[in-house]
Amino acid sequence: MKLSISPPRSLETKRNRWGWAFVAPGVLFFSTFSLYPILSAIWTSFHNKKLLSLKPPKFIGFQNYAKVLESTDFWNSVRASATFCLGVFVPIFCLSLLFGVLIASRSKGRRFYQMALYSPAVLSSVVTASVWAIMFDPRGLANQFLNGLMGTPGIDHRWLADATMVQVSTMVVYVWKMVGYYCILFVTGIGKIPVSVIEASIIDGANAWQRLTRITMPLLRPTMALVSVMIFTNSLKTFSTQYLFSQRGAPSRPINVLTLNIYNTAIVEQNLGLASVMSLLLFAVLLLFAWAQVKAGGSGEDM
Amino acid sequence: MKRKFGIAGIGDLLATAILVAVSCVAIMPFLFMAGASLMPGSDVTAIPYRWIPDKPLWSNYYRALKGSDGSWIYLRNILNSFIVATTVATSSVLLASSVGYGLAKFKFKGRNIVFMGIMSTMMIPFEAVMIPLYLTAVKLGLQDTYAGLILPFLTSAFGVFLMRQYLLGFPEELLDAARIDGCSEPAIFRRIVFKNATPAVATLAILAFRGQWDNLLWPLLITHSERLKTIPSYIVRYTADLTADEGTLMAVAVIAALPVFVLFFSMSKYFLQGAGVYTGSKT
Repeated sequence: MKLSISPPRSLETKRNRWGWAFVAPGVLFFSTFSLYPILSAIWTSFHNKKLLSLKPPKFIGFQNYAKVLESTDFWNSVRASATFCLGVFVPIFCLSLLFGVLIASRSKGRRFYQMALYSPAVLSSVVTASVWAIMFDPRGLANQFLNGLMGTPGIDHRWLADATMVQVSTMVVYVWKMVGYYCILFVTGIGKIPVSVIEASIIDGANAWQRLTRITMPLLRPTMALVSVMIFTNSLKTFSTQYLFSQRGAPSRPINVLTLNIYNTAIVEQNLGLASVMSLLLFAVLLLFAWAQVKAGGSGEDM
Repeated sequence: MKRKFGIAGIGDLLATAILVAVSCVAIMPFLFMAGASLMPGSDVTAIPYRWIPDKPLWSNYYRALKGSDGSWIYLRNILNSFIVATTVATSSVLLASSVGYGLAKFKFKGRNIVFMGIMSTMMIPFEAVMIPLYLTAVKLGLQDTYAGLILPFLTSAFGVFLMRQYLLGFPEELLDAARIDGCSEPAIFRRIVFKNATPAVATLAILAFRGQWDNLLWPLLITHSERLKTIPSYIVRYTADLTADEGTLMAVAVIAALPVFVLFFSMSKYFLQGAGVYTGSKT
């Protein structure tokens, strides 16, 4: 090897060029599969574009937006998505916080509880929906369980047939699936509270309840904010359960959430302009939540 | 320390009781699914329901794989899911660790722009870009191909973020020592960085695998022929058929769930870590 006495700075500059080599494939990927499509979606939303049509798309300004905002179908989807979000938010937040605190307080069996509660989140959402669809059968387990609880034998609660019940059913499935997941986030969050703080409070004579309300809860606030935002953003993207239930013959209008509507508008009705507008509006709402999430100090992606 | 049976004791007991009850509720549908997969359909909807099959009907599994039309297409769909999920898991780990390494350990011009750019795509939900992606894929003739199923998921912004955070703490001395020994930059990445990033790599691989095993929306858009479908769309089609035998449907579901649960039980640490990643991102 030839000895060269190059100043360390230029050596470092040369080495740092390797940085580009390592990131280049990623830059290419994200420009092609994220950046370009989102710009294209914005472009499509201002054009009259049909799938499989040979005519060149025509610029039509805000007509697609106007059409979407005037359609009762869209507002029905907004209602369906909002109902679903709010309907799952309260039970998921409260239950996962409660179970998280309880699990963190155990010295024994912590791992077992975590695994048991988390296992529904491991099951894929389509499998989950199909198992629950069978339990929601008129002669299925859900009716038998509810009738046993209320002492009303033989009544069909129409889980997948009644307009209100089918919404409740999708929420039951989602809550069952996701509580364990957010519960783990709370367990992790509680685990990050410094032991010294808790020890100090014990020395100061705080009892278990005081420790919970005065120490754990306030210090858990960032995790609570993060979890709240994640519940909202993830539940806005729900698709599988609603799609599967409607394919099995459940009334689709009550559970026609935005994602389902976008899919149907694009593929069944083949109206890409309208579908693009709807997905951009969904994006705008999610962006708002993402911004809130950054404020809450986390990062996230659908799991 | 001696346990006193007082209010604390009762609270303790109550907490355990709640957790045991909740664990039962969480596990119950699994027991239902497993039991029902070994029953004739009439038993699955029997009143009252009996949890344990009288005589396990293993032929349900044979019928589940064979399909109602006898085409064995489910086997092919399972294979497709494996191909897509393992390819995506592998590529997302490789690409994300390469990009994450570049961002964490090199000070090149434009690094901040690249980092901010990739992070901002994390906020774009798949639902917002799927229609333009679909149009592009159609134009490129990727309909009904494995490439069409795989390409949009080669890596994820979240994966890059995860790997970068992990590699920021990678000891600089190790890299410098390798450089002094005459190791080339790609070799350092392959032999030293990648091999010592196992926790992050395993977490990311599991997230990616599960994401594809679960993916319904994109395969629904991009594939038409049954030959190219993956497990989720097969299950939807099977569940939509109201004349299908419920016991066999549950066998179909068990088969779909099995691989992920084998992963879950053998690598539960990384699963729970994968969930915890979100709260750890502040550090």
